[in-house]
Order: sequence, then structure tokens, then C-alpha cells
Amino acid sequence: MTLNVSDLVAALPQDVDEGTTLVVAGLPEVLLRSTVQPVPIGRFRRLSALGTLQAKITAAYMFHWLRGWFHSADANKRLLAEAHWRNALRMLDSMGYLRGAVMKIGQTLANFPDIAPREFVETLEKLHFDAPAMHWSLLREMVFSELGDDPERLFAAFDKQAFAAASLGQVHRAQLKTGEEVAVKIQYPGIGRAVEADFRNLFLFMLPARLTRDWESTKDQLQDLQRRMALEADYELEAANLRKARALFHDDDGIVVPRVFPQFSTSRVLTMERLDGLHLREFMAGNPSQSERNDVAMKIVRAWYRLMYAGRMVYIDFHPGNFLVLPDGRVGVLDFGFMLPIEGEEWELYRKMDRPLTTGSQAERIAILKEWSDIRDDEIDHLRVADEFAAWQWMSRHRGTEYDFGDEAEFRVGIDLFTEMVRKRYNRARPSTPSIARSHFGWRSIMYLLKARINVWALAEQEVKATGWDRSDYA
Amino acid sequence: MRITVEEKNATRRRIVEAALELFRTRGFEATTTRDIAQSAGIATGTLFNYFDTKEAIIGQLAQEAIGLARNAVTSRAADATLEEELFALVAAQLRLLKPLRKFIAPLFETALSPLAAARSSGMGESWRVEHLETVAAIARLHGLADISPVSIQVYWSLYTGVLAFWSADKSPRQEDTLALLDQSLNMFSAWLCDSAGESNQERRSS
Repeated sequence: MTLNVSDLVAALPQDVDEGTTLVVAGLPEVLLRSTVQPVPIGRFRRLSALGTLQAKITAAYMFHWLRGWFHSADANKRLLAEAHWRNALRMLDSMGYLRGAVMKIGQTLANFPDIAPREFVETLEKLHFDAPAMHWSLLREMVFSELGDDPERLFAAFDKQAFAAASLGQVHRAQLKTGEEVAVKIQYPGIGRAVEADFRNLFLFMLPARLTRDWESTKDQLQDLQRRMALEADYELEAANLRKARALFHDDDGIVVPRVFPQFSTSRVLTMERLDGLHLREFMAGNPSQSERNDVAMKIVRAWYRLMYAGRMVYIDFHPGNFLVLPDGRVGVLDFGFMLPIEGEEWELYRKMDRPLTTGSQAERIAILKEWSDIRDDEIDHLRVADEFAAWQWMSRHRGTEYDFGDEAEFRVGIDLFTEMVRKRYNRARPSTPSIARSHFGWRSIMYLLKARINVWALAEQEVKATGWDRSDYA
Repeated sequence: MRITVEEKNATRRRIVEAALELFRTRGFEATTTRDIAQSAGIATGTLFNYFDTKEAIIGQLAQEAIGLARNAVTSRAADATLEEELFALVAAQLRLLKPLRKFIAPLFETALSPLAAARSSGMGESWRVEHLETVAAIARLHGLADISPVSIQVYWSLYTGVLAFWSADKSPRQEDTLALLDQSLNMFSAWLCDSAGESNQERRSS
């Protein structure tokens, strides 16, 4: 099995009625099968892993996504756009570093599905985990060239087998000579620059699409992805995020952010304290009680709020593998590769948003939505959908009581509203919107997974007030 | 007065070190054999007792590196794949050749290119034979007893291509060479195993 264009193109549905979900109908089974396969190492399997599963899923999502945008366009325009996308896919196929880029596109597009909540969560998760691997000889060479010596000499122990795949590299267990157990994340050589080059090519290739009215939106999505890839490729930035985040938490929070070992870290290698615990899926497999689940959920939400209000950064990657339940009950937060700083004007908007979030006032909610997404008074339907979506998103908070995040019907409402927004192209706004949407959906997915019943209002109150913001500016 | 082997070796070493230093500071092209002899504190004529040309000095160093690399990878882990072992072999060479990287391109052109193979020049030929023998030995360890001349030629083209790329690689710490080497060997070993599988099948069916 090798990667080829015909597989990708074949994955595109040819003849679809609007609103059907044919593309993803068979997905969970496919995903299920893929979970029993080991991380592929060596030979063509590394390429074929991309050539089949991820690429197809991505192709399917791309198609779906596209159809949403062209919902109201006439048939000719739609066909034209589809042709552009087919070409774009061929272009992707020719990219040397398809593996990273395709997976990232898959992850981003996974924000726009038309599928059941459970599949939605699982899809996000699988797209993240199935990364191809580097063999030991290559890895050893990367460590040598980045850190100046062989891993056998730098570390007291270094596991040759990766224990996790990262989208731009992989993670290995190791032990420092000073005794600390660490996780060493290593990037595939040159992948950051190669992906950048791929994006430049992709934009060039897509120039014919620039005259269509959806070009701006397409461009935004791709630029968001490009930005994200650039951030994730820089492990020094991730190390800085980790250091900043780590300083925000104290012992009694029960939340741990791993420590970075800078002497064993570069822009391509990141050595962090290794936390041993259960990923959320493993945790759930042990049938934890409601109160145990609530405890973990509260810590995750607290971490999110702390990063947001005290750290002024948004944690984007709400992936069950990024949270660890440690044996002593603390929760470890991993993967700070993609953090969105909230600065300047956006921070001011966040502050304004806090009020309707707290009070539930519809008038105030609409005012901030109009400002955030730049919605005009005559865009009545846009405003309605945006408001319903925000009402769904924020209700758990302003209601001020325990909220049942495990309610499938409730989660479904949010997904449907979001899908509607994407279909009607209401998701344009500011460049950070897709990432923030991913973050919001992400934490709701995690809460859903945990079947949490918690009061997030109380948590938010504590976190906001702890920053010294007493809301006296609320006139 | 007779010159002992030790003295000869010491002089050879002095020449090589002086040459490397001059190549680094002045560049390969701008350095003459006279400069090298002067810097090593010997007569130009004496230098020719050791090396015919400045290229030969690089060749000598490269040859040493190739030998050292072969020894460095003989004690590899038993569970490594063919691709991994080949990668380790070439990566070890690149590490040892690194001080020569900037001035090794002329040597590649004259001695190592697939075109030069036909001319069977001394330095290139021994590099070629020695390296390919090591590759064949590694392949044998992985159950590939007889590699066809075509496979050998394919390998040599990929290998010299990677070396040529490396000598001009401007990426940080030549990381692009690692990626190219990884992908080249990935392709080669898959192809080799596939074609070995096919010929086994042919043998079985005949």
C-alpha cells in the first residue's frame, strides 16, 4: 500500500445530497481497527499510514467542509470549487512532508463534522495519535546533532521505542544522569521548514480560488493551520509556554505542568519531566465514580481558566491524551505546543465577554458577539445562530449550578449549531477564531468524555478574582 | 639518514593538519600545495613523497573516516532493521567526514560520482568497493544474500546523491541531509526487500 492520488480522490464522495453523513458513516469502525495497529516504523508503512487512513479521513472532511461553504452557491460554482479542492489534494499528495500537514489539516477539519458526539471526540483523538515514527538510528543522529552527543552518553537511560507519537516527531522515555525521569520529544529533521514550504506551494496552487467569495474564509483557515504548524514546530516556544504555565500553579491546585530541562532542549528536542499516570481514556476504563470524575474535570477546567485569566493564553489541544490522572489524584497537563496568547484588543474583548458569561444577559451577549465577529445589524440570521451557539457554550457557566456535561443531547445541540455556522460561513471573524472554537469544543468534549457534573461558574469566579480583577469596572 | 615509520607518520599527520587548517581559513581552491608544505614546515618536494595533490589529502582523510565508520557500526544492536543499520553506517560516515564537508565536493566529483565509477580512479574505487562490501555484509545479515548489480548501482546513486546534497546542505546542522538519507534508505530497503521477495517467489515457482 503506497500513498497515491487516486486513493485520495476516491475518498471524495462524488454525488452527495446536502445534509447526508455518508462520508463518516463508516468512520468509527475504521478508527477502531486502526487502534490495534502498532506505531508503524520502517519502510513504506510509514508512508502508507498516511496514504490510507489519515489521508482519506482528511479528504472526506475536506470535502464535507467544502460543501458546507458552498451550500448556497449555484451548481457550477460548486463544481468549480470542488475541482480546485481536488487539485489542492493532489498538491498535498505531492508534498514531501504530507504526514505532518495532512494530520494537522485532519485535526483542524475535525472541528467541523456532522457526526455523533462520541465519534466526534474519537476522531479528534485518533487524528492526533496516529503519527508515523523515526527509527532509532535517525533519532540518535538527531539527538547527536541537536545536543552534541549520543543519547546513550547524555542520558542514564534512553528508551529506543517511542512511547507516544507527536505530529511533528515522537516522544521517548529517558532518565537523566541526575536521576529524573523525563520525556524527550524529538522532531523529524527539517519538518518545520518543509511544512512551511508546503504551505507556500499550497497557497500558490490555490490562487485560482482567490476570486471566489469564500476565498477569504479558506485562506483564514489555512493561515490558521499554517500558524499553528509554525508554532508547534518550535520546541523552544513550547518550552517557554511550559515554563510560563508551570509558574501559574501551586501545590494545592492539584495541577501539574511538567518541568523543562533546558540543558537537554533545543528548538528540535524538548526534554521534560515525565509524569506517570493514566490518560483520560485509561482513567475512564477503570470506571471511576462520579465524584472522582468530577474532581478530574474540575482540575482540567481550573487549569483552562487559570491559563486564560492569569496566564492570558488559551490552551487549544484538548485531547484526552494530554491530561494525566496521577496516582496521588493530581492532574498533569501536557503538550503546550499550541497555545494562543490573548493580547491587546482580544484581551479587552475577553474582559467584556466575562460579563454576559457571568450574568447570562442576552443583550450583553449579543453586543459582544457583534463586536467579536463584526456582525452587522442587518445580518439577522448570522446573529441568531451566533447567539444560539454562544448561549449553548456559555450556559454551563452563567447558570451557576452543577451542570451535566455528559448529556449527549445537550452536546449535540452545540455541534449542530456549530455545523450550521460553518455551513453558512458564519465562522469568519478574527484569525484566532478557529483555534478558540477548537479550544471551546475541546474542553466540552473532555467534559462529555468524563460525564462531568460540575459547577464551572464557581471555578471561574475564583479564577477571575484571584487575578485581582474584582469586576468593579462593571458599571 | 633513515626515516622511521613513526617519523613518517608524524610528518603525514602534520601535512594533513596544516592542510585542513588552510582549507578552513583560505578555502580549498585558494590553497596550494606549496602553502601546505610551508605551513607543515617541509619542502614542497617532500610533500609530494606523501601526497600527489591536495585532493589526495582530502581523499586520505575521507578514507580513514570511512574505515572508522565501518568499525563504529559493527557492534550494532541485533534488533535493528536493514534500513536502520544502513542509516547508522552512513550517518557515522557523515559525522566523521564533517570537518571536511566544505571542501569535499571536488573529491566527490572526481572520485565518487556514478560517472567516475567507470573510470575506476584509485581513491574513488577503494571507497566504493569498501563501502559497498560493508553494505552487502549488512544486507547478508538481514537475509539478503545476493544483491543484484542493479540494486548496487541504485544504492550507489542514492548514496552519492546524499553525500553531494550534504556537502552543499545549508539547513541548520544539515538536518535536511538526515531527512534525505532517511527517505532514500527507506525507499531503497523497501525496494530491495520487495525485489528479493519477488525473486524468491520466482525461484519457488520455477
